[in-house]
Amino acid sequence: MKRWFFLLVAALGLALSQQPAPLKIGVVVSATGPAASLGIPEKNTFLLLEEEANKRGVAGHRVQFIILDDASDTTQAVRSTRKLIQEDGVLAIIGTTTTPASLGMIDVVAEAKVPMISLAASKAIIAPVDAKRTWVFKTPQTEELMARAIVADMKERGVKSVAYIGFNDAYGEGWWTFFSQEAKEGGINVVASERYARTDTSVTGQILKIIAARPDAVLVGASGTPAVLPQRTLNERGYKGLIYQTHGVANPDFLRVGGKDVEGTLLPAGPILVAEQLPAGFPSKRPSLDYITRYETKFGIGSYSTFGAHAYDAWLILRPALERALKNASPDNLAAFRAALRDELEATKNVVASHGVFSFSKEDHLGLRFQDTAVMVQVQNGRWKLVRTFR
Amino acid sequence: MDWTIFSFLLADGLQNGTIYALLALCLVLVFAVTRVILVPLGELLMFAPLSYALLLQGQFPGTAWLSAAMLVAWALLDRNRLRLALALLLLAGVVLGLAYWGSHGAPGWVAWLLAVLIVLPMGPATYRLFFEPLPHGTVLVYLILAVGLHFVYQGLGLVFFGPEQYRPPALLSGEASLGTVPLPRQVFVVYAFAFLAMLGLYLFFTRSLYGKALRACAVNRLGARISGINPSEAGRVAFLLATAIAAVSGMLIAPLVNAAYFMGFLLGLKGFVAGILGGLISYPMAVGGALVVGLLESYSSFTASAYKEAIVFALLLPVLFWRSLRTLELGGEEE
Amino acid sequence: MRPLLLVLLALLLLAPLFLPPFYITLLNFVAFGSLVALGLYLLTGMAGMTSFGQAAFMGLAAYATALLTTKMGLSPWLTLPIGLLFAGVGALVLGGLTVRLKGHYLPLSTIAWQMALFIVLGSWTALTGGHTGLPDLPAVSIMGFSFRTEDSFYYLSWAFALLAAWGAANLTGSRVGRALRALRGDAVAAASFGVHPPSLKLQVFLLAALLAGLAGWLYAHFLRFVNPSPFGLEASIKYLIMAVVGGIGSIPGVFLGASLITGLEEWLKDILPKVFGRTGNYEVIAYGLVLVVILILAPRGLWPFLERYLPHPTPRRPQGMGLPARQVQGLEVPKGEVILEVERLSKAFGGLLAVCDLSFQLRRGEVLGLIGPNGAGKSTCFNLITGVHAPTKGQVRFKGQAISGLAPFTVHEKGIGRTFQHPHLFPEMTVLENAALGTYARTRAGMLSCLLGTNRREEAAALSEAYRALERVGLAELAHHKAGGLALGQQRLLEIARALASSPEVLLLDEPAAGLRAAEKLELARLIRRLAAEGITVLLVDHDMDLVMGLVDRVVVMHYGEKLAEGTPREVQKNPKVIEAYLGQEVA
Repeated sequence: MKRWFFLLVAALGLALSQQPAPLKIGVVVSATGPAASLGIPEKNTFLLLEEEANKRGVAGHRVQFIILDDASDTTQAVRSTRKLIQEDGVLAIIGTTTTPASLGMIDVVAEAKVPMISLAASKAIIAPVDAKRTWVFKTPQTEELMARAIVADMKERGVKSVAYIGFNDAYGEGWWTFFSQEAKEGGINVVASERYARTDTSVTGQILKIIAARPDAVLVGASGTPAVLPQRTLNERGYKGLIYQTHGVANPDFLRVGGKDVEGTLLPAGPILVAEQLPAGFPSKRPSLDYITRYETKFGIGSYSTFGAHAYDAWLILRPALERALKNASPDNLAAFRAALRDELEATKNVVASHGVFSFSKEDHLGLRFQDTAVMVQVQNGRWKLVRTFR
Repeated sequence: MDWTIFSFLLADGLQNGTIYALLALCLVLVFAVTRVILVPLGELLMFAPLSYALLLQGQFPGTAWLSAAMLVAWALLDRNRLRLALALLLLAGVVLGLAYWGSHGAPGWVAWLLAVLIVLPMGPATYRLFFEPLPHGTVLVYLILAVGLHFVYQGLGLVFFGPEQYRPPALLSGEASLGTVPLPRQVFVVYAFAFLAMLGLYLFFTRSLYGKALRACAVNRLGARISGINPSEAGRVAFLLATAIAAVSGMLIAPLVNAAYFMGFLLGLKGFVAGILGGLISYPMAVGGALVVGLLESYSSFTASAYKEAIVFALLLPVLFWRSLRTLELGGEEE
Repeated sequence: MRPLLLVLLALLLLAPLFLPPFYITLLNFVAFGSLVALGLYLLTGMAGMTSFGQAAFMGLAAYATALLTTKMGLSPWLTLPIGLLFAGVGALVLGGLTVRLKGHYLPLSTIAWQMALFIVLGSWTALTGGHTGLPDLPAVSIMGFSFRTEDSFYYLSWAFALLAAWGAANLTGSRVGRALRALRGDAVAAASFGVHPPSLKLQVFLLAALLAGLAGWLYAHFLRFVNPSPFGLEASIKYLIMAVVGGIGSIPGVFLGASLITGLEEWLKDILPKVFGRTGNYEVIAYGLVLVVILILAPRGLWPFLERYLPHPTPRRPQGMGLPARQVQGLEVPKGEVILEVERLSKAFGGLLAVCDLSFQLRRGEVLGLIGPNGAGKSTCFNLITGVHAPTKGQVRFKGQAISGLAPFTVHEKGIGRTFQHPHLFPEMTVLENAALGTYARTRAGMLSCLLGTNRREEAAALSEAYRALERVGLAELAHHKAGGLALGQQRLLEIARALASSPEVLLLDEPAAGLRAAEKLELARLIRRLAAEGITVLLVDHDMDLVMGLVDRVVVMHYGEKLAEGTPREVQKNPKVIEAYLGQEVA
């Protein structure tokens, strides 16, 4: 009896050891620190994706996501990236959540020649596509795209002057840069530019200054629940104009904390925010609903976030690229495989994802078409309501 | 800037300043008795309203587990004092029971009290577990220890409550007008509490024998022990008082400013600034310093909001310089 | 210790050959952290000034180099001194304000400008690129070789780190190092033997800032990207943690701390997901707990634990001639002439008149006793003479020159040495180092010379001078013991030795015999007699009448701040007013 047992174990061992090594993908996200509300759903999404991907495997290989938290800090992000490349020998890097940390990572991935898909907002991460950025792609819409959506909406509503109040960090700064540019091109006058910190307990001074300038609309460049504060203060001080937020508030906590104060807010968002309300022909409708269902099954109803969807989109792009690369190259030859993977990523065409349709090219490593990637949403009765698309 | 704006900013500055003042009082209190700069005070401030928010949602707050665990650890450390250990274990059970009751349909005002009671044991337990084992530390070592605790509590805050803010209901809702400026009624409760706390601490520490005994422990630990004062007990009392004030403050201000796991640190830092302006020894001066910081912040947020913090901190320098000149000459300080 | 050091150096040199590349990356970060922590060793560990602002200086230099290399195309080697210049100027401006602050105000002011600088870096978008940062910095290169990989940069950063450590070690065992440690313990005592607190504090502040600036330049060219986040308050706190956890009082300590904290961060990221699963984010909590536990178990840092297991070199007895004879300042006063004169001296503290209209003269070569009941104002008189207080009225003249109101270090430089009623020693330093403090005013080596180690000869002479002073008071066998372990009598002798090492013309002894046993008092009396015979003028305060009367040439009696009587011991003993003051009216 013992003999059979040992033979069985040996056979199993032999069989298992014949399995090809897992495909290692490095992930860096900000699961703690100021960007945690964006990073946690991203991290959760990767856990979900790993589980699912390994049910069927990718071209016969298992997938392993090695996930590191950078605590929203540049130095940590760079260190984590180096670790993933040097210690773990990953095939590609996905991350990170914030713009400055992503920028810091560019040098590392370019030096090591590893493809990277960023989950951060700024255009500077992927443009212009030079010798370094040839290795870098990204999935979230740039502030430029979303700002264009806002300006288009403002023009339609006859807004002539706008005031801006944003976070005193890379997010608020990036939004200011691109929004003020788009507003200028669209002929809208920006009358005030204020800043506040995520941890602030009041923005009375800034709001008073804004109200004194009498703008038709106010744009709040913030993310998460701290974005409620300026809006609430505006209401308390009797501001009657339009209030716009950015897609950084597209999570259920914003509605919960904002309550009546955020009723009527307008914001640009990726289509996934209002997935069920999208018209039938909208490309991202199916992938969005798909993602929402799977995420909520694992993590609870109402728990999905549009930021987690960026992570999902990254996989929707990376997976087929991996499959294509595996046809011609083997992960055992790391350098060659990474280069092949990069080429296949760049060759991505018409991938229908939750935030739009991705088609990369040599000059464009974002590859989103404006019409498919941004919709205008308004908060009505405590819910997100689709008010217009740009198709 | 016209008069209306000026008065709005004044009200805003006073509100923020009062928040800093409450924190400053707690920091001065703890430092005056134990020479510990309680960096995690910000987290203790936020734990109570966050727990309250979870109770109202019918969820069992993680802070109850933390509180109970700390009490159990304390009981283990003092296991040779059987009665104390048993009492602590019992208290741990009570905390869990209160949290259970609060999350299963206790009325709002009861949940309010329960939230404070759940967080309260964390104060003296913090002292007993982390600072009492080190009776002869320097101020710098205590400070780094406190920073370590801040990481722990803030990290736990993220785990228990998630990254977003909560907005618990106010005790007094609606607004009242003071002149042309409408103020939320809740803010008057905050002012009243701050004033009472300041007065109470001032009287306690300068007029009562027990209060003076507590202060003696920080000045000369050996001398205090020889005089029959127990410095360990003094430390626990000071931490308990500070946590109580912080927890109640947090409950009162959260409806005004929202509560999140990350908001405590910067509030504590500004409270620390105010406390230093009072030399870390005087309560009225700490409150005064806090109001100054709050007002400075309010007016610079109007004039140059991107640089608001920079202005406040930069303007601090000449004030520090002036304050420092007024203390004694050469040979004033130990560390 | 030497061979151990060499082994360590060899390991460091060969590390890139046998360690995986990621460890080399980490070692680079350890080097940066060590540089900043080394600055904290000097600033906080030695001079006792806690700073929460070192990351701001890193940021100043990092941004300077980032802007100059990207926008103006300068070479990084050129931007290194410029970056250091920025950090240095920043230090001088801010330090000029900060080092004069006392007690808690000092750390708070470091927090203040740390936060202010961080916000300016982030908000002045036009200049600094704001929070998004400045990308694409060039790599450092020498003659075509580019330090791009972590291996090559490793040698660069550790070369700098070791250089800085060498300089700090030189500084520690030098006169400036001793003076810094004296400043931290006891500014009054330090001033009494010639230390200028404000200028020295500013110098060490500047040095710490330069070290941080160097770390900033290295950081910027390693990452080739700068943004404000590594230069904020959290970063400053982290460097302070590194220094404290490793042991802020020693150079190996801060290197140990930097390695430990850097390694801990990575190790936790590896271990925790395996233990707690990947859905949690517990690294920060674990990090805090580890910190707390380390500090409770090792409040002085981990290095003191390890140090005990290392072999200690046997200290050598200082050889040599000692210092050249001290240049006598001012006139040469012949024996018997007035050398120190107190004229109508008064000092009021608020409403309390401690010294009132006091006048007496001290003649060259004599031993003068100043006696009186407790509270008579004797110590205050000493403080007035040595410049610790300025008189409300009246004058003190030394060799004809008015010295009242001058700073203590200036008074000391003129040739007056003193001891204190309660010994003001530095328990962490050895007996020899304490005595060597007395030579501070007789030596010249500045901060730079001490850093570079060009002061060896002067240092050897100073140490042998101090050793001779120890021999004179009989403490030579204890030369390498820590001063904290001495008995009271020995402490008093050490204070005298320190004063002797300064080769004073006038020696003020404040209750040198208090707490000594009879045999020790006899020794002390003999010592003082020997000193007087060698030409030192002694002004002595004490309560032991037998000692005083048998030792001194003349006596001045004080009572309630005024001079009650003056004369030879015999005259004063018979003076009825004196008897009344000490014993009451009836006995007279």
